[in-house]
Amino acid sequence: MRHADGATEVKKPESPQAGRFERVVLPHLGAAFTLAMYLTRNTADAEDAVQEAVLRAVRYFPTLRDDDARAWFLTIVRRVCFTAYGTDRRGADVISIDAPGLQLVDDREQPDAATSRLQVQQRVRDAIDQLPPLLREAIVLRELQDFSYTEIATVTQVPVGTVMSRLSRARSRLAGLLQDVVDFGDVA
Amino acid sequence: MSELPDLHKAMAEALPVYEAPASLQAWAREEARRADQESVRPGESPMAQSRSRVWRFSDWRIAAGFLFAAVVGWGAASLRPIGGLTPSTSATTNQLVDAHVRSLLPNHLLDVVSTDRHTVKPWFAGKTDIAPPVVDLTDKGFPLLGGRLDYVDGHSAAVLIYGRRLHTINVFVWRTGTAEPRDGSFAVRGHSLLHWTNGGLSYWAVSDAAPPELEAFRDAYMQ
Repeated sequence: MRHADGATEVKKPESPQAGRFERVVLPHLGAAFTLAMYLTRNTADAEDAVQEAVLRAVRYFPTLRDDDARAWFLTIVRRVCFTAYGTDRRGADVISIDAPGLQLVDDREQPDAATSRLQVQQRVRDAIDQLPPLLREAIVLRELQDFSYTEIATVTQVPVGTVMSRLSRARSRLAGLLQDVVDFGDVA
Repeated sequence: MSELPDLHKAMAEALPVYEAPASLQAWAREEARRADQESVRPGESPMAQSRSRVWRFSDWRIAAGFLFAAVVGWGAASLRPIGGLTPSTSATTNQLVDAHVRSLLPNHLLDVVSTDRHTVKPWFAGKTDIAPPVVDLTDKGFPLLGGRLDYVDGHSAAVLIYGRRLHTINVFVWRTGTAEPRDGSFAVRGHSLLHWTNGGLSYWAVSDAAPPELEAFRDAYMQ
């Protein structure tokens, strides 16, 4: 029950209270944009995708009951990315000409930081970038955005078992590339 | 090995978590406020209604009312009069409205939740021999919400679910039989129905939206 003003409200699914969309969906704009960035790998497409997702979310908002609004909103974002912005679901992994991996580079690093640390980070980014989209989104949602298995299952619209198998495949692919710099436990 | 970071830490260090750009945030906030204002019913909180919007939900309802009156007036002679149903047609429309109302109960609406026609259509293909056209009408104001199978009046029906503002439109599709009612509009217990046939398939659109909305939907869907 999230009643910001503390007033008694009768739940009316067909007539959401004023300010409800803003309160329920908008806090997840950053998470939405992050997912869109890792799926489209391009700022312009990510912005367009999130914009389209907001428009759709406004329309479908009456269909959101008491579910997890973050997972619900990111489901829409993901669908827009896959259908409208050419993220290849199959995993052939077409890399955008505009930004071949560039978008994953975080250039806030200071030049005096340890070179080896920067190299490791670059390798991690490259490795994530090389994952097929279905594995990439699973590992990004899990490790970077701290989604539960159930939430990932909701967003990607597959059973939890499939989520776990994708995460496991993503981890073993990453382990193949990064086992000398990252501790993968018993996977590697 | 123990000094190596685990994957969670390595990714957190290497990969940025993004903020939405400020322009996008501002736009989304604007859009959200507008949507939230529009969803307030007239009378519930009149002060919350935006005065600056040229075309509001309340206007739309009034316009729909006028349009409905116009259509009924114009069509009184040429269209099937609403209400004058034969007993068998009445049984069909009653069952359709029952199925529609049942579908609106929590968790009953959709079997396949998808706004993507490429998902909905193959889903039907695996479950029924009826292959209704699945078209995305979001641009025309009827977002595709998903699909469902149902059994109505002795027919296996493929059901497409579209949204219209705060309304839901159930479109029941089955093979055209021998005793089909004529095409036209019907009203049953406050719900509107619109029936048409095309290419060996019978279509019934059912909603609590106004009849002109259903006709607009049919025209968009059949294009």
